[in-house]
Amino acid sequence: MAAVQGGLVDSEEEKDIKADPSSDVCGNSNNANDAKPVSNSPGTNAPPGPVKTSVETAEEQQTLLAVLQFLRKNNLSESVEILRREAGLPEDLLDHKGSDGPGSGASTVGGGLDGGDTTTLLSRVTAAASGVQAPTKATSDDQPDVSVVLSAYSQQGDPNLYAVYYSDLKKFIETVLDCHRAELSQVFYPLFVHMYLELVYNNHENEAKSFFQRFSGDQECYYENDLRVLSSLTKREHMRGNETLLDFRTSKFVLRISRDSYQLLKRHLQERQNNQIWNIIQEHLYIDIFDGMPRSKSQIDAMSGSLAGEAKRDANKSKVYYGLLKEPEIELPLDDEDEEAENEEGKPKKKKPKKDSLGSKSKKQDPNAPTQTRIPLPELKDSDKLDKIMYMKESTKRIRLGPETLPSICFYSFLNAYQGLTAVDFTDDSSLIAGGFADSTVRVWSVTPKKLRKVKSAADLNLIDKESDDVLERIMDEKTASESKILYGHSGPVYGISFSPDRNYLLSSSEDGTIRLWSLLTFTCLVGYKGHNYPVWDTQFSPHGYYFISGGHDRVARLWATDHYQPLRIFAGHLADVTCTRFHPNSNYVATGSSDRTIRLWDVVNGNCVRIFTGHKGPIHALAFSPNGKFLASGATDGRVLLWDIGHGIMVGELKGHTETIYSLRFSRDGEILASGSMDNTVRLWDSMKAFDDLETDDFTATTGHIHLQDNSQELLLGTYTTKSTPVIHLHFTRRNLLLAAGAYNP
Amino acid sequence: MSAPKTIPKDAQVMMQILKDMGITEYEPRVINQMLEFTYRYVTTIIEDAKIYSTHAKKSTVDADDIKLAIQCRMDQSFTSPPPRDFLLEVARQKNQTPLPLIKPYTGPRLPPDRYCLTAPNYRLKTVHKKVLPSAGRISVPRLSVGAVSSRPSTPTQGSSVPSVSKVSAPVSLSAQRFTVQIPSAQSHAPKTTSATPPVLMSSSLIGQKTLLMTGGGGALSQSDSLKRKHDDSEDYDAM
Repeated sequence: MAAVQGGLVDSEEEKDIKADPSSDVCGNSNNANDAKPVSNSPGTNAPPGPVKTSVETAEEQQTLLAVLQFLRKNNLSESVEILRREAGLPEDLLDHKGSDGPGSGASTVGGGLDGGDTTTLLSRVTAAASGVQAPTKATSDDQPDVSVVLSAYSQQGDPNLYAVYYSDLKKFIETVLDCHRAELSQVFYPLFVHMYLELVYNNHENEAKSFFQRFSGDQECYYENDLRVLSSLTKREHMRGNETLLDFRTSKFVLRISRDSYQLLKRHLQERQNNQIWNIIQEHLYIDIFDGMPRSKSQIDAMSGSLAGEAKRDANKSKVYYGLLKEPEIELPLDDEDEEAENEEGKPKKKKPKKDSLGSKSKKQDPNAPTQTRIPLPELKDSDKLDKIMYMKESTKRIRLGPETLPSICFYSFLNAYQGLTAVDFTDDSSLIAGGFADSTVRVWSVTPKKLRKVKSAADLNLIDKESDDVLERIMDEKTASESKILYGHSGPVYGISFSPDRNYLLSSSEDGTIRLWSLLTFTCLVGYKGHNYPVWDTQFSPHGYYFISGGHDRVARLWATDHYQPLRIFAGHLADVTCTRFHPNSNYVATGSSDRTIRLWDVVNGNCVRIFTGHKGPIHALAFSPNGKFLASGATDGRVLLWDIGHGIMVGELKGHTETIYSLRFSRDGEILASGSMDNTVRLWDSMKAFDDLETDDFTATTGHIHLQDNSQELLLGTYTTKSTPVIHLHFTRRNLLLAAGAYNP
Repeated sequence: MSAPKTIPKDAQVMMQILKDMGITEYEPRVINQMLEFTYRYVTTIIEDAKIYSTHAKKSTVDADDIKLAIQCRMDQSFTSPPPRDFLLEVARQKNQTPLPLIKPYTGPRLPPDRYCLTAPNYRLKTVHKKVLPSAGRISVPRLSVGAVSSRPSTPTQGSSVPSVSKVSAPVSLSAQRFTVQIPSAQSHAPKTTSATPPVLMSSSLIGQKTLLMTGGGGALSQSDSLKRKHDDSEDYDAM
């Protein structure tokens, strides 16, 4: 059922796609996607849609009805009679199905869907017949899915009555009890948008405009950007190219309402004849009902704001292995240094006792950690083992941070970047910085006094003594050593950059749709991974190397391995661009933040979305996992940092303070401090230890997802450090807990 | 500072459009960029429409032509990402295959060579050398590709290395390069020129060296070509 664009194939595709919804008992699905759950929640009135016995008869009937309707529209009444008689269709069935207006609740659902069917089938019929003017513009659509989606709006009430229905509902909701009002007010925004889009689709431009003007001011302030986009959409053609809007149509907007409030609403709508609203609610809204206290306005506000409503309860219920992988035991090499000699016993896991020791003292498996073989990971090479030993040594010298001992911050300002600096990354041991620029170059600098060297040319390599001890030094070319190297290759601004953990490779993702792997030994480009055909906004190497992820404008994130030219996993589900992608420390999960204001956590093994976090009111630009793997911090254009508990799938904290978009977040090495950098030229430090300690996750909270956020941002803020007009776009804690920050000076 | 007396009407319209779309803060150059884009877009559409209308043998350009032009241009330049259900379907198929096992380390983990960018993507033209002792030899164009590689090395062959820049026979050039250049691998070099010896270095580097050779050592190669193949160490030093 892939969407194939092409003239002749379309008609068949449309037919196939329409066959599926008609066979769906519920009759509510507007797109024929098998993978998405389509059923309404048990609480809603299960619409007794027309039960079709077999697909063929349903399809044939649809076709017949379409033809009949077409003939009727063209006033060929005699043909209508003849056809009806011959086809043996009962009279009332035809009238019933052919009506576009709102009938009784049950049948309109079916009617609406059939109306949609007939519209698209009409277009097919007219396309086949030459020289006949199609009543709808569906023939000009060359994407079958688009017309499927848009045909959802063929059912129409009287356009003038829309405003009446809406204000009626408004009045009703204003009169309900306070405790219910906040919950029912959630309905306003999706209802408003869907009604507006229906009017636009059915070419009632003036009514749409007046409807918009009258009611757009009532919506919540955080939907302002969406409403502005909507206001520019006044004709049906405008809707066509906007993928995000189309996705909004096909996916159901999820609302979480308590049972009592829902009963109120249902009763009210079914008493009146306002079935138009009821239809929209059934078709486009998914009402997740829970038993319990209705939520307060502040609770609702905290969780809402995303383009798809909130997350369903069961979306966040699957088990997530958020623990860390067991560190491999490394045999220390014979040439130990002094520190090793101090400890008498030659056991591999000797070091000064630390909280989360690398060579774990507990032999048994952490129940929350994935097994070592859950995903294939590359084995450690000797150089990797040496790196790990270095890491262990460095971590013994690490400063313990806390509210009393704040980290020192070293800021790297990029001068003369002319607003062209688009991405920055540090290696884990903080020896190299890479910058991605809008002029499509990637530059690598050495932070330490040691210069950057590339491997000698082949001819020179033959001259060296291969048996000498320092052969690894000799293969490096001294003549071309320099502080920085420039890598050319991309054909568009470089938006994402990531070093590999073993410092041999550098990844860069760009607006030209490719991700390039550069070798840091030869400073040349090795591979170009093509897959996204649209700008790739972010990329990151896995903490264990070998895998990397990328997310872009095509609304998916992809998992790649360096030795496969095609992605291994595709994480599809977001409604808008994927702007930020991060690996979990155990490499088994991937978090993606998107312009649709949600964060999703994906399982690498099977590509499923295991968590959906809503609550941000703007596109998300920064994500950070805590070092223990349990928590996720996210920052967005709304200037807030939100903290999420991955295991339970709920929001646990909100840090307010920044005034502009937050572009970078980083936890300190032991997770005690969270640093955030933003466009408002400041770096702020937050006490994450305290933020996570104060959790009271009782069962009720976990099951219903109610959150009780404390407004303690001020207490958690440990310090604000302003730069001289330099937005902070990257943060990095060195192994000894010194904070490095990077940004481009912007006078 | 002299402000312009009046802003052109088009720019005023553009400012109004930006205001209507809710954009309040923008740099002044944005107006110019938007105007340029508008001009380019509109002229492209109108030109396309003119082509379509002449194709349909109409005397004037009418709305249908414009619509067709817009549609074609949309499909070409302003494509939008694939629709969601398509992506979900593709993702479902892709995610069904289990993650491949990782082979033990056998060098950098890269895709097969044809998907990498590590192959040479250029061929060098050798530079015509000016002063050559045995100039007479130059004129013998040993062009035939196959011949070079299969024939045992003869003195004359070596001589034509740097001289004739017949790019049309790249293989011959490179084969010749090998004979001149890579002494170390040629333990058996005197016998065959086709010793494309298993060159352990990347081809791109070879190219560089070639340039060096032909640039600087052209004179050498001419006279010493005879000796070169027999005496590897000399060549070695020359480099």
